[in-house]
Amino acid sequence: MTERDRRIDELFGGLHGKVSRRELLQRAGRGSMFLGVSALLAACGIGGQQADESPDPDDSPSPLPEIAGELIFANWPLYIDRAQGESPTLVSFTEDTGIEIDYQVVINDNEEFFGTIREPLSRGQSSGYDTLVVTDWMVAKMIRLGFLQPLHHDRLPNFEANAFERFKDPSYDPGNVYSIPWAAGITGIGYDVERTGRELTSMEDLWDPAFAGHVGMFTEMRDSFGFALLANGVNPAEATMEDVEAAQQKLLQQREDAIVRGYFGNDYTDQLATGSLWVSMAWSGDVFALQQDNPNLRFVVPDEGAMRWTDNMVIPVGAEHPADAHEFMNFVYDPRIAANITEWVWYESPVSQVPEIIREDAAAASGGEAELLEQVAESPLVFPSEEIEDRLYNYKTLDEEEEQAWNDLFQAVVQG
Amino acid sequence: MLLPGGLWLLVFFVVPMVSMLSVSMQEGSLERGYELTWRLQTYLDVLGKFDTQFVRSILYGLIVTVALLVICYPLAYTIAFRGGRWKNALLFLLIMPFFVSFIIRTLEWKFILADDGFLFGTMKNLGLIGEDFRVLATPAAVIGGLVYNFLPFMALPLYVALEKMDRSLLDAAGDLYSSRASAFFRVTLPLSLPGVFAGSLLTFIPAVGDFINADILGGINTTMIGNVIQQEFLVNNDYPEAAAISFLLLAGILIGVATYARLLGTEELTG
Amino acid sequence: MTSPSTDVVAPEGTAGVRRRNRRGWVLPVYTGVVIFYLFLPIGVMILFGFNDITGRFNFTWQGFTLEHYRTLGDFPDLVTAIKNSLIIAAGATVVSTVLGTMMALALTRYRFRGRGGANLFIFLPLGTPEVVLGASLLSLFITMGLDRGLVTILIAHIMFNISFVVVTVKARTQGFNREWEEAAKDLGASPWTAFRTVTLPLIFPGVLAAAVLAFALSVDDFVITLFNAGGTLTFPLWVYGASRFGVPPQVNVMGTLIFVIGITLALGSVWLQRRRGEEIVAGYLR
Repeated sequence: MTERDRRIDELFGGLHGKVSRRELLQRAGRGSMFLGVSALLAACGIGGQQADESPDPDDSPSPLPEIAGELIFANWPLYIDRAQGESPTLVSFTEDTGIEIDYQVVINDNEEFFGTIREPLSRGQSSGYDTLVVTDWMVAKMIRLGFLQPLHHDRLPNFEANAFERFKDPSYDPGNVYSIPWAAGITGIGYDVERTGRELTSMEDLWDPAFAGHVGMFTEMRDSFGFALLANGVNPAEATMEDVEAAQQKLLQQREDAIVRGYFGNDYTDQLATGSLWVSMAWSGDVFALQQDNPNLRFVVPDEGAMRWTDNMVIPVGAEHPADAHEFMNFVYDPRIAANITEWVWYESPVSQVPEIIREDAAAASGGEAELLEQVAESPLVFPSEEIEDRLYNYKTLDEEEEQAWNDLFQAVVQG
Repeated sequence: MLLPGGLWLLVFFVVPMVSMLSVSMQEGSLERGYELTWRLQTYLDVLGKFDTQFVRSILYGLIVTVALLVICYPLAYTIAFRGGRWKNALLFLLIMPFFVSFIIRTLEWKFILADDGFLFGTMKNLGLIGEDFRVLATPAAVIGGLVYNFLPFMALPLYVALEKMDRSLLDAAGDLYSSRASAFFRVTLPLSLPGVFAGSLLTFIPAVGDFINADILGGINTTMIGNVIQQEFLVNNDYPEAAAISFLLLAGILIGVATYARLLGTEELTG
Repeated sequence: MTSPSTDVVAPEGTAGVRRRNRRGWVLPVYTGVVIFYLFLPIGVMILFGFNDITGRFNFTWQGFTLEHYRTLGDFPDLVTAIKNSLIIAAGATVVSTVLGTMMALALTRYRFRGRGGANLFIFLPLGTPEVVLGASLLSLFITMGLDRGLVTILIAHIMFNISFVVVTVKARTQGFNREWEEAAKDLGASPWTAFRTVTLPLIFPGVLAAAVLAFALSVDDFVITLFNAGGTLTFPLWVYGASRFGVPPQVNVMGTLIFVIGITLALGSVWLQRRRGEEIVAGYLR
C-alpha cells in the first residue's frame, strides 16, 4: 500500500462508525482535494537539466541555416568599446554585414545568468540568445549539460589565423569545439599601497591581521577556493577533496579572526576605491581602470600564484540565428576590431596582433590618449609577461558531484 | 466584488506556491532532474544549516519594526494632527524620497557610510572618531538601511489610521478633564491600533525576507535568510532546499503574526 | 478636510488649547529632522549627478558639470529600462488599486462565510518573502510556457500590489461609517451613485495613498522583477547591473530626474486634492 493510499484510508477511516451524510461528503471533498493537490504537486516537478538529445558522439555541428540578418548577443557590462552611447564595433559590424545586433548587457554573474536560461535550454528550447559570453568553467558545465552547439570552424577563419596559441585547445573545451575566447584576465590581489603601508607580494597578505576588517574575498567560489588552495601550496587545477577541505578551513579562519570584511562580486571595485577595502581579490581589468582614478592602487600576482580565466563566446542550443553568430564571432577576431575592443575594455585579448597594434596606436596618438594607450600596451595586466603567465593557474573542471560538494563547503564560509 | 482580484491572486499566487511546496519535497539534482518523493527531511536539514540566519533575520526584523514604530508614530501623529493645510504636502514630502529606486537609495547609503567617505573621512580627519570606526559591513549598517527603506511602510498606515480618527472623541476626552497624555493613551493610541498593526506587518515581513540591504551594506556576519534563499535558488540551484527554507520562513512569519494579532486583540478588526 | 468640531468653541476649563503652544515646537522639529534624514541620500545622489569625473568611477568630487544630463540619451539600455519601469508601474497601479479597493470594501462591509479565510488569503502574499514570490512565479511561467518579459513583470507586480492596496485601504474603510451611505440610499440614490458620491470621496485619501504606494512599489521592485524579467530591463535592474562597478553618474542623473518628476506630480496632485477637498466639504456643509 503506498503512502498515498494509506492517507486516503485515514481520511475515510471513520466510515466504520456512524457518519452523517454531510460528514461523508465533507471528507470525500477533502480527500479529493488532497488527491487533486497531490497530483498537482507531482506534476510540478522540475525537469532534469540534461537536454533531451545528447550531443552527437563525434560532436559534428548541425548544418547552419542562412544568415538571418539578426543577432541577439548577451554579454557582461563594460566588455565592449563604447563611444557616444554606441559601440563602434557593433556599428561597424552592422555596416559591414548588414546584420542587426541586439546587444544585451544582462550577464553579471555566471551562475545567476545561468539560472535565467537553464530551463528553456534543458528542454532544448531557445534561451532567447544567439551568443553568450561566459567564463571557462561555466563553458565546461554547459558542455557537460549539453546546452551548447558545436561551432563551425570553417566559418571562423580569423580565429584560426589570429588567436594566440595558448588560447587554442583549452582544457575546459578541447579543440574549441564549442567556444572561442572573448577576453581573458587574471584574478589577483588589488590593494591600496598607501593604506597598506607596504607593497604586497604574497597570498598570505590576504590573511594579514594588520588589515583586519579591510580585506575582501570573492563570492566566486572557484576564485576564493583557488586562492586558499594556492596559499596552502596546492595547484587548484589538481585539487583533491581533502585539499578543498583544508582550503575551506583556511577561509573559515580568515572569517573567524574577522580579517575578511565581506565576500564580493563586482562591487569590490567601489569598496577598494573608496578605501573601505584596503586589500582585495581583484580582476586585472578592473584595477587597471581604477588606477586611472586612484594611482595608489596596485595589482599583484602573488608569489604563490593567481587564477587565470577566459571568458568565451558560445552558442546555446536552440539559438535562432547561429549563422549570424558565427559572423560576429569571426568579426571580432579581426586584429583591428580586437584592438579597438581591448583599448576600451582593458582585458587581455586572445588575438595575437593586438599588442602590436595598440603600440602603433599609442605612437600615432597624442596627449592623454597616447599616454593611456601606452599604458595599455605596456601593462602586465592587459598583456601578462611570460614570467607572470607561469604563476597563473586554471580552474579545475568539476563534475556534478564535485561541484555540489565544493559549493556546500563554500556556502558554509560565505553564508555565516 | 471579490472575484477579479481574488482570481488574480489565485492564479498568480496560489498556484506558484503549490508548485514551490512540491519542489520543497522533491529530491534530485539539477542535472538528473527532480522527482517528487515527499521528502520532508529537507526541512530539518535546512533548519539545522541555517538556524543562525533565521534567528538573525527575525531579530533584525523585530529591531527594525520597533525602531520604526518609535520613529514614525510621532511623525504620523504630527502630520495627522498638526498638519492642517500642510498635511498632504508633508505626506508627499515623506514619500518623495521613495520615488527614487530602493537600489539607488541603498547604494547612496553605502557611499555616505563609506569608511573614508565624505562623512566619516572628515570626522576621522577631525579626530572626532577613531581610525578604526566603521559602520559599513556591520549589522548596524544593515539595520540602518532597513529602517530607512521601510520608513513609509510604517508611516503611511499609521498616518491613515490617525488621520481618519474622529477628533471629536478627543475633544470629548478633553471635556471630561482628561490630560493630554491620558487622552493620547486612552483614546488616540487604541484607535490607531489598526494602523500600528498594518504598519508593523508591512515592515516586519519584508524586512525579515530582505536581502538587498544585507547584500549592499552588509559584511560577514550579517547574512539574512533572504540572502540564503537567493543563493540557494540562483547560485547553488538547490531548489528543494531553497523552497523548504522559503516555506519555513513563511510559516514562522505567519505564526508570529497570528500571535501578534491575538496580542493586540485586533483579530476582529481584520476579520 | 477639517473636522467639524473645530468650529465648536471649547468650553472653559479645557487646558488643552493653552498648553499646546508652549511645547509645540518639539514635534514639528522632529518631523523636520526625519524629513532631512529621508532626503540625505537623495541630496547626495543629486549632487553627484553633477560630478565632473575623468575616469569611470564616481566616488570623489571632481567638479561641476552638466554633461551627464546632456548625454543621457546615449545610453539606450537605460532609456528602455526607464520606459519599461514606467509602463509597468502605471499599469500595475491602475489594475491593482481597482481590484484591491474592491476587495477591501467587500471585506469590511459584508459579513460572509470564509471572510476570515479570505483575509488570510489576501494577507499571504504580504507574508511571503519577495524571493519566494519571484521564484515561484518564475516556475509557473515556465510551466505555462510563457516567455518572460514585460507582461510577466506586469502580472507579478499586480499580484503583489493587490495585497498592499487592500491592507492600506482597509485601514481606512475599517471604521468607515456606513450610515452616510445608508442615508444616501434612503434618499433614493442607487448603490452605485451612493458609492460614487458618498463612499468613494470619503475613502479617497486611503485609496490615493494605496495607489501611490502601489506605484512606488512597482517602480522600485527589484527582487520579483529580477526573477521574472527575462531579458527585459527595468530601471532597478539596470541600476543593479551598472552599480557593480561603482555607481555611474547616469544612475544619479536618472534618480534625480525621477525625483523631480515625482515632485511635480506631487505638487500637482496636492493642489488638486485641496481644491477637491474644499469642494466636498463645502458641499456637505451647505
